[in-house]
Amino acid sequence: MNDELPDFEAELRALRPKAPRGHVTAAIARELDAHAASKAKRGRIIAWASGLASAAAVMLGVFFVAQRDELGPIRYELVSAEQAPANLDLLAPVELADGSYARPVRLRWNNTTHWADVKKGTHLIDYRPAEQLALIPLETY
Amino acid sequence: MFDAHSDQDWKAWFADNGARLRLIARQWTRSDADADDVLQEAFVRFWKHQRHLPGNPNALIVTSIRRSAMDLHRRTDRRTVREKAVAADADTAMWFEPEADPRLQSLAQSLPLLPEEQREVVVLKIWGDLTFDEIGEQMKISPNTAASRWRYAMEALKKFINARTHE
Repeated sequence: MNDELPDFEAELRALRPKAPRGHVTAAIARELDAHAASKAKRGRIIAWASGLASAAAVMLGVFFVAQRDELGPIRYELVSAEQAPANLDLLAPVELADGSYARPVRLRWNNTTHWADVKKGTHLIDYRPAEQLALIPLETY
Repeated sequence: MFDAHSDQDWKAWFADNGARLRLIARQWTRSDADADDVLQEAFVRFWKHQRHLPGNPNALIVTSIRRSAMDLHRRTDRRTVREKAVAADADTAMWFEPEADPRLQSLAQSLPLLPEEQREVVVLKIWGDLTFDEIGEQMKISPNTAASRWRYAMEALKKFINARTHE
């Protein structure tokens, strides 16, 4: 019997299982294409948020330059740069446009940067709250 | 052929693998319609969330199909009337394309008649492309038990085919 097993296995492999019916592929396409569109939308939101952060950084830089021009030779030195631990808020699950579910989570933290000019006794503290929203896909059964 | 980790198009991957995956779903379901439903649910879950996970993608998709099939069984177990209707379907439905070679055709007709525990091993080994170790993990049995069931299945198929040949 054992001698016949390899041949038998080859014959089994020669069988052709029936392909899924056309509506299965169409249904999968609907779900996966919607999923891909949803991911692309989330990517755009993140890019938009990054753009806002960049704009804020530019404004801060302009502010520093203006300060230097008005006050003369102020020499700030970095004292500390801290990022507080983030608070995580788990929000109620939501249904996405493609019919899948996800749980929104919100991260909030503070960035605090402290500069000082010891000679002039001036301090500049940049306190910047930050927030980030994200979606964690949920599997449903 | 089975590499689902890369960023390839799902349609190409499904075109290459859909038939064998459907057979895996079919042997755990009671009708062709149920197999299609299970395959759809399992494949979407696999492609969205699991294909980038480390490990053998075959084992991942097989696990996903098995889970969907078990979920479907739990849902349909309550519908006893429908169970009786689909049981008849299970007896008559063809799992494979028709074969011109009588021996292959006998083999195709005999596979669904195997005891479930043997049939699972054969389907997972041939069309799931899993090793006995991986089959053992799927079915919560030892690799040796999986190999034994494979041997029993081969013996049984041989008897089925001989019986059909002498009919």
